[in-house]
Amino acid sequence: MRNTFAVAAKEMRSFFYSGAGVLVFFFFYVMAGIFFSLSVLSYARLSMESLKEGYQAVEGLGLTRFVFSGLFLNLGAVLLFLAPVMTMRSLAEERKLQTLELLYTYPLSDFDIVFGKFLGLVWIFELLFLPTAGYLWILHSLGGVFDWGPILTAYLGFWLLGGAFLSLGLFISSLTENQVVSAVVTFAVLLILWMLEWISDAVGGSAAGFIRALSPFAHYRDFTLGILDLSHAAYFVLFHFFFLFLTMRSVETRHWKS
Amino acid sequence: MPESAPHGSADGDLAPVLARLEDVSKNFGSRRVLKGISFELRKGEILGFLGPNGAGKTTAMRILTGYFPPSQGRVWIGEQDLFREPQKLKRRIGYLPESVTLYGEMRVCEFVEFAAQVKGLAGIKKRREVEEKLTRCGLWDVKHRLIGRLSKGFRQRIGIAQALIGDPEILVLDEPSNGLDPKQIMEIRGLIRELAQDRTLILSSHILPEVSALCDRVLIINKGSVIASGTADELESGLRERHELVITLGPPADKAGVFRLLENVPGLERISIETAREGLVTVVVGIEKGRDVRAELSRLFVTQNLPLLEMRSGRLSLEEIFMKLVLEENEDASQREDA
Ligand SMILES: Nc1ncnc2c1ncn2[C@@H]1O[C@H](COP(=O)(O)OP(=O)(O)O)[C@@H](O)[C@H]1O
Ligand SMILES: [Mg+2]
Repeated sequence: MRNTFAVAAKEMRSFFYSGAGVLVFFFFYVMAGIFFSLSVLSYARLSMESLKEGYQAVEGLGLTRFVFSGLFLNLGAVLLFLAPVMTMRSLAEERKLQTLELLYTYPLSDFDIVFGKFLGLVWIFELLFLPTAGYLWILHSLGGVFDWGPILTAYLGFWLLGGAFLSLGLFISSLTENQVVSAVVTFAVLLILWMLEWISDAVGGSAAGFIRALSPFAHYRDFTLGILDLSHAAYFVLFHFFFLFLTMRSVETRHWKS
Repeated sequence: MPESAPHGSADGDLAPVLARLEDVSKNFGSRRVLKGISFELRKGEILGFLGPNGAGKTTAMRILTGYFPPSQGRVWIGEQDLFREPQKLKRRIGYLPESVTLYGEMRVCEFVEFAAQVKGLAGIKKRREVEEKLTRCGLWDVKHRLIGRLSKGFRQRIGIAQALIGDPEILVLDEPSNGLDPKQIMEIRGLIRELAQDRTLILSSHILPEVSALCDRVLIINKGSVIASGTADELESGLRERHELVITLGPPADKAGVFRLLENVPGLERISIETAREGLVTVVVGIEKGRDVRAELSRLFVTQNLPLLEMRSGRLSLEEIFMKLVLEENEDASQREDA
């Protein structure tokens, strides 16, 4: 286990040393900041209007639902762009630098390497999104009242969504030695996943349900609304397993091809 | 800790076998890159893999270091099968891959520390090990520098330092001086010689001086097979009987005439003729095994009125032996293909 952590820590460190690390954090917080400010502003406007007209704030148009559900849905879309940049170097760059050869000859199993890399990516991702809790603090100190349940499920959902994207990106990074190829292909695949909901609407019929069930965003949405459904969680767990398994397989192909 | 083993003493017969490749083959798809190679590595020796590019040296080393398993055959580390217990046995091997670039954005000490961590060291032990190996490889003064900013020579030292971490019994260095300038090569060789004093080493090279300068024993590898092995002396004496003759003729000898003359002499291989200074012609001919053509040749030159100034057996340098073995092997192979 210590080996796995060593690999994870190295993964994290190389990410922050690379320009991509700075870029990802910068982009994420610019986007998060914009989405957050916009939803807070429109929430403020709406509640002012309803006060003027003598209504109580509408039930269900609470602060939590209005500001945070929207924020997390948008951040999910931001991940489409960030996950490929986070994973593009992971295995591709190591292959190019031939350091992968070193890793394989250290007393590490393939699992240590693949899972260590994945864990490192997840750590980076956690470092990326946990500071968004600062928004809660800002609203709280302004006197906002929250419904904590949906906030926790939204964080859980975001964590699962991010992990899923990272496992997919890691797999694609294992297929090439070119970071750019890795990033572009990952982005393309994520984009297709993102469009699955529309595709399912367009197709209609019995296939629609099936296609929809494949869409990570369909499963993610309920989390942001405070709905904790086991089948959604199971979907993400399977997603992780599937791509980590494929990555293990891909890493094993060195046994018989270049 | 590796004991200091008696170096090259009594053929090294007493030294225990640390690693053994047993009839190891490797295929990539339908390509057979290693064709059943076997050898033993004994404690304390420096074994050289010598072979032209593409011979299979790197592939053999990757198998020995557990990078990938062989398609057939087995690899023993001590008494155990490397691919039965790879994680445990890989600890006994340190590896410097060929032309490894390393992580340019990491600092030297960070990377070596990482190597120590994945090799299972922690805490004070890790710190001591890292310090010792950095010092040993002459990296102490650059330990806070970014790897990407250092010269190729330094990077090769870093590669050696990470291989040394954890004091593995066996050190595998793939073309350690490839791509270095002459000064760096001297330095790396010095370092390797120092390390060899209390360690067992395999190193590969496609150039001979490297191997003959450092190694106790040489395996010549060509097209995936071991075509010769032994000490440099053994290899030389093994080929002594098919030596060559160096002949010097004075004027009026001329290149074309001498060539036509020798062409028709049976038992000569590979005739090369050069015109040296002052109209002297130098001929180097290979002689088939077990033939002595010297008397015949001197008579021939006399009848042709060519002054024979010198005729001596050329002693083959190891370089020439290497070239010859590789060439012969290739000729054999093409003859087999023709048949
Ligand atoms: N992963 C691979 N896939 C296919 N062919 C390979 C692979 N690795 C090496 N080869 C081939 O095997 C042969 C031996 O390569 P290598 O072991 O690198 O030789 P050397 O190190 O002696 O130069 C070469 O012809 C090379 O093209
Ligand atoms: Mg090689």
